[in-house]
Amino acid sequence: MEKGNCHLDARAWLVWVLAAAALAMTIRNPLYTVILLLIARVVDVACGRPDAGLDLPLGRIAVTVLFFATLFNGLFVHSGRTVLFALPATWPLIGGPITVEGMAYGLETGLILLALLFLFVTFNRVVSPGELVRLTPRAFHDLGVVVLIAITYVPETARHLERIREAQAIRGHRLRGLRDWRPVIIPLLVGGLERAMSVAEAMVARGYGATAGREQSPRMLIGLVLGLLLLLAGWLLAFWYDLLGWSLLGSGGLLLGVLLWRNGRRVIHTRYRPRPWTRQDTLLSVAALVPLLVVFVPWPFLAQDTLGYTPYPLIHLPPFDPVIGLVLLLFTLPAILSTGATRPNVEGPAYD
Amino acid sequence: MRRTLSGLIYLLSALIGVAAFVYPFLLPRLPVADGDAAYLAEAPLLTTVLLALCLVALLVEMQGEVVSAKVIAALGVLVALTSVLRFMETAIPGPGGFSPIFAPIILAGYVFGARFGFLMGALTLLVSALLTGGLGPWLPYQMFVAAWVGFTAGWLPNLQHRPRLELTLLVLFSVVWGMLFGVITNLYFWPFFVGESGMAWQPGAGVRTALAHYTAFYGTTSFLWDVVRAAGNGALMLVLGRPAIRALARFRDRFHFTVVTKEAYGEG
Repeated sequence: MEKGNCHLDARAWLVWVLAAAALAMTIRNPLYTVILLLIARVVDVACGRPDAGLDLPLGRIAVTVLFFATLFNGLFVHSGRTVLFALPATWPLIGGPITVEGMAYGLETGLILLALLFLFVTFNRVVSPGELVRLTPRAFHDLGVVVLIAITYVPETARHLERIREAQAIRGHRLRGLRDWRPVIIPLLVGGLERAMSVAEAMVARGYGATAGREQSPRMLIGLVLGLLLLLAGWLLAFWYDLLGWSLLGSGGLLLGVLLWRNGRRVIHTRYRPRPWTRQDTLLSVAALVPLLVVFVPWPFLAQDTLGYTPYPLIHLPPFDPVIGLVLLLFTLPAILSTGATRPNVEGPAYD
Repeated sequence: MRRTLSGLIYLLSALIGVAAFVYPFLLPRLPVADGDAAYLAEAPLLTTVLLALCLVALLVEMQGEVVSAKVIAALGVLVALTSVLRFMETAIPGPGGFSPIFAPIILAGYVFGARFGFLMGALTLLVSALLTGGLGPWLPYQMFVAAWVGFTAGWLPNLQHRPRLELTLLVLFSVVWGMLFGVITNLYFWPFFVGESGMAWQPGAGVRTALAHYTAFYGTTSFLWDVVRAAGNGALMLVLGRPAIRALARFRDRFHFTVVTKEAYGEG
């Protein structure tokens, strides 16, 4: 059982990351974006599992993304009034004045991409793959089994690959070109499929086939077709008729959700020692949804025009509404909870 | 009846997928008033949600494919194998956009049928994202496109009696998808580069301008990268294609023999 310091439910984390990412994708003001970016890092430091997956060189990635986003936009966008220097106009695409505004806009774009990346890096580091697979909706029970088998077999397959490579090396086989991989990959494939046969036999022996694998009923298929039709029509109409389009989109999404839920009810399964939903989980979910409400609902007391900022035509400081800034800080809640250091009152939930 | 419905689901989600990817081209044609600026800001978010919903609908339909423990186990092991190959890609960065995951996805779709290929593509990207920590809003796009790589591979004519032609076809197929994958997935973050330039997304311009801008954007940022990927795909398929097909086909027959219903491998 490896867990981070924050003892929060994977579902609550999911709400947290989805809400924050939705904001990061819609807000276009570098000040707010930087706040989200820093929050992602703070929460990662406070809550990340020590043994979490690959360690990405985040600093280097950040510098690269920001540098190239600034460079590209600076080179290719020629509007704006603060001209630094000019390239000959005959050069394709990059010819013309190079402006501070163009670069600022590129930097802003880079910050948005980076904030998204960091939020999800944090999410990946606080929630283990095992917990993520548990989030699979019940409707996808069979596919969840496939994913579990795959995750379980990845280390085994990597070891198998190593063994085959060693065996071939002992015979004097050297890996130089692409062609030399054939005597390694093909035995790996055959061995893997051979193992799949024994896994399948073991599953059948334990009575797996009794419940799995029924084709979807025609009713279900008709429902799916309808849902997709509604989505497509709504999405196309939303360009011209706001209300009609959005309501069609909404009902299409709702229909698919209901179908998924009904499909899930066919699957009966039990959970070994489920992790109880604690008050802290509720707190985090609610706290993560509040900023969404604040940003997307037009409140009279908020300066929501500060959410969109463009440096054109003349560069100026981005506007800032302290209330929105404070509301965004709600996303740091996991880090605050972890400093309280009160372990939740549950006996170590069995995970993994 | 069932086939028609399934076909409709594929068609509709393909349409939504195409719409989600090409909306940056459609949008410029539409008269955009100032009041709709908010809609523009939400567009990338909306398309991500839409694509995820599409993927959900498709996966519900495709789940009918995993009818037996054998198919489940084979799919799981093949996904694991491909994810391991992808690990090697992240551990030892090859040149450019080369990624060894497409050849196995295409081969699985070709040998085991379109729906198997679809699941193989979608789940391979999901599993490797889970393991390497690559979960993010880009995942639905990648899953969607990789799934279609495997799905369309199932549509290729079965040429197992003409090996030379078969290999040529598969190599060509991998090269084409190697390029397309880049062209399509790049569309996902292109709208973030809004602005007045020769390569940025510009709401309010014409379709032709948008296409020209995207071509410039693509040419400067990713063309070479994708050429390497396409060439790598082709080379991998050339080297591994035939022995891998033989191995997979043998197991297909072994997996087959207990399955009595016709639909189980209808497309295969």
